[in-house]
Amino acid sequence: MEITILEKTEHNIKFILEGMDVAFANALRRTMLTRLPAMAIDEVLVIENTSVMYDEMLAHRLGLVPLTTILEDYNLPDKCDCEGKGCSLCQCTLTLEKEAGDEEIMVFSRDLSSQDPKVVPASGDIPLVKLAPHQRIIIEAYARLGRGVENAKFQPVATVAYKYVPLVTVDKSKCTLCGDCVEVCPKKILRLNGNTLATQNTLDCSLCEACVEECEAGAITIDSKPDSFLFKVESTGSLPPEEIVVKSAELLKERVQVALDFANSL
Amino acid sequence: MIIPVRCFTCGKVIADKYEQFKREVRQGDDPAVVLDRLGYNRYCCRRMLLSHIDIIDNFMAFATTEGVEQR
Repeated sequence: MEITILEKTEHNIKFILEGMDVAFANALRRTMLTRLPAMAIDEVLVIENTSVMYDEMLAHRLGLVPLTTILEDYNLPDKCDCEGKGCSLCQCTLTLEKEAGDEEIMVFSRDLSSQDPKVVPASGDIPLVKLAPHQRIIIEAYARLGRGVENAKFQPVATVAYKYVPLVTVDKSKCTLCGDCVEVCPKKILRLNGNTLATQNTLDCSLCEACVEECEAGAITIDSKPDSFLFKVESTGSLPPEEIVVKSAELLKERVQVALDFANSL
Repeated sequence: MIIPVRCFTCGKVIADKYEQFKREVRQGDDPAVVLDRLGYNRYCCRRMLLSHIDIIDNFMAFATTEGVEQR
């Protein structure tokens, strides 16, 4: 297995995974999506809410706010010593108190004050509710670790997708330089460069094969590199993208081991 | 009512950029260009911002704040 990182930003990572089959690539994708834990608000105690928004709707919005997670600091409730009742090892309390003066105000996710400085909203600019003059909300929210299988709000990733690595080849002996394929390509992969048909940014190719259909001479072939995948992982901000990939691979390894141990015990 | 926190389809957080989107579009920028600049490349996230209508202000016109103080 070989990984080549193509692009890495604060929330995104793009890499090529080589020497693995589809089954593994998909298992990795699904592990990232549904098995890797992340913090999210799960229980909300509404002490006062005079805003125009219903308590349920407010609680739902709070749940969707991604919280920065340190996986080592918290236990999953079902693996915690308190047996899921909620203790300081598996739960974090966040409070929100806001009252509008004589003017209306917007309550943002940054107004949530957390008991643990490491568990804070990943983005402080998420509007939660708007308060009309003299309206007030007092809320206590409990965040815990959870997995994507349980609820999508616990997913540490927005999207994880992989595709085959495209191979675009031009047979120069057959090419008539008509330029039809250049026009038809939605990703602008092909380019007429003097008297040759050149390819550029081939990794952007969506394998639509519009160029193959357009080319009457049959000079273009689109193929995919065997056992190679182009991954795109987009974090919600709860975990850094590279950590998501590494931790998911570890989790997958553990789970495969559990399955193997079980199979061997039969 | 108010801008949803996340994209319905993919789960990307969209609410934190809504104010900026609205401001830049009001200044006369092309919504498509603004969305590209904000990093919303998929059409699921783009429609969330493009098609949203904020109606919380209409609700707030009926806010009953006085009653609360008396209670």
